Amino acid sequence: MSENIERRRFLKGVGAASLIWGPMGCTSVEDDSSNTNKPHYVMVFDQNKCTGCGECKLACNTANNLPEGKSKCLMEHQSGGVEGKACPHCGKDKCNCERKFVRVSCQQCKNAPCVSVCPTGAAHRDPKTGIVTMDKSKCAGCKYCIGACPYNARFINEDTNVADNCDFCLSSKLSKGELPACVQLCKYDALVFGDINDPNSYVNKLLAVKDSVRMKPQFGTEPSLRYIPVVKLGV
Amino acid sequence: MDGSMEFTMGLSKGIAWPWPIAVYLFLAGISGGALVVALALRFIKCQTANTPLYKAAALISFVTISLGMLCLVLDLTNPMFFWRILVFYNLTSVMSLGVIALCAYIPLTAVLCLYAFEDDIKAIKGLSILLPLISMLKPIRRPLELLTLILAMSVCAYTGFLISALIRFPLINTAVLPALFIASGISAGAAASKMVSVLVFKEDLHSSELKLLHGAEWPIMITEILFIVMIAMSLATGNEGAQSAFSAFTSGVWANLFWVGVVGVGFLGPILLNFATGRTFSHSAKAFYLSGVCVISGMMCLRLFILYAGQTYGI
Ligand code: SF4
Ligand code: SF4
Repeated sequence: MSENIERRRFLKGVGAASLIWGPMGCTSVEDDSSNTNKPHYVMVFDQNKCTGCGECKLACNTANNLPEGKSKCLMEHQSGGVEGKACPHCGKDKCNCERKFVRVSCQQCKNAPCVSVCPTGAAHRDPKTGIVTMDKSKCAGCKYCIGACPYNARFINEDTNVADNCDFCLSSKLSKGELPACVQLCKYDALVFGDINDPNSYVNKLLAVKDSVRMKPQFGTEPSLRYIPVVKLGV
Repeated sequence: MDGSMEFTMGLSKGIAWPWPIAVYLFLAGISGGALVVALALRFIKCQTANTPLYKAAALISFVTISLGMLCLVLDLTNPMFFWRILVFYNLTSVMSLGVIALCAYIPLTAVLCLYAFEDDIKAIKGLSILLPLISMLKPIRRPLELLTLILAMSVCAYTGFLISALIRFPLINTAVLPALFIASGISAGAAASKMVSVLVFKEDLHSSELKLLHGAEWPIMITEILFIVMIAMSLATGNEGAQSAFSAFTSGVWANLFWVGVVGVGFLGPILLNFATGRTFSHSAKAFYLSGVCVISGMMCLRLFILYAGQTYGI
């Protein structure tokens, strides 16, 4: 029965798609299927689990040999209260309730402004994994990508004098078949990483059941970082 | 549910493009603007001689674009990496397209200097090695000038496209910016060429060429004002981010720069000097230089304002 529905839906989909795309003369089934074979790596940050311990930052620094104290990700601490006003939850002037953390890092945009503005192609998409990463030997240090990134997620690495961004530890970990350093080190499972195009991956299953959001979607950059926000019902 | 989470921190501190870039935008605007004016006049009036204005424009364009390049290189995190921009290209990047245009434009401004100063070069012994080069280039003078005119226009426009690609800054990310940069580049370039042609190349203050330029000045200025009003209006009536960027015009140090520098010095200065003073003063050399300096300073303030205020009010 369910198979039947699937098939009917599939046929309907094909019919509709050919109606739409056919006249525009620009589709090929081959393209679509080869796309789904390509990985699309995503990272999920679960705000409900993050305690703000900062291990991810430290891990990043070590894994990527960044200058002392630097890291490709930051934690923004957000308290629900307003400075100078009593907390809406506990009534105290100074409290620590409603502690929230947000991971700040490169959003790995599908439609990445940093890649399109970079004059030298130093900021590029890795052809195999689709991850936005840096070719340090090409970067001229013009900082165009830093201005163009809508998330302010790039910075100049003082060691190399060239631009840098979080690339999911592409060269330091992924290439060895390991998870990104921050994901490995997170004790609270607040970070999940994987290929969303793989139907068996945990991220795929997680995102299928959890509501997640993307940062500043109005820029149309289609970030690959997903956030599961703390949602309080009935407040 | 999108938008229920936000972050406000960033990985880079301060603004990505500081004042040397504003100076570069200013110099490139003058360079392109000066040539646009001089070459357009040359074509319209079918000139064949090296007029003082042509000489002035050729000299200014070469000097300013060279200085501009210096600013650009020095602003790189490591100026030694400059060659990378010249070797690697990415055609989706406005900067890369600009580099291609500049690679042709800068040598052409030098060639125009050779044309313009042919007689002077002949007079100086030490420069005689340049003479064969000049005679070689002479037959293609007209097509080269035409090409330079197009490139000069592109250089003015590209500086606008270059920064309007920064999508997180509503003041900068507007479609009108390239047009504004062309208009203000032309007015500042014209002012600079006029002054140098009178000061250095002894053009008559009331020559027919300068008269024509004086006449063109006001419509260009009105266009500029119109473009700025367009940007301000679209911010004032835009979404939340745009409205917060509108405060660049109303409060803070950059608003002062805008009202005093751009509006006061750049627009009101020349207007008052030309229309609010007596006929004898407004036709004097003093008024001529003063209003030229006003126009150029106003343009510098405009570039600084757009770049700094723009990058201050991001979304
Ligand atoms: S978040 Fe910024 S650095 Fe990362 S891919 Fe998007 S534009 Fe590039
Ligand atoms: S700083 Fe480097 S990576 Fe960024 S746009 Fe310039 S050349 Fe490209």
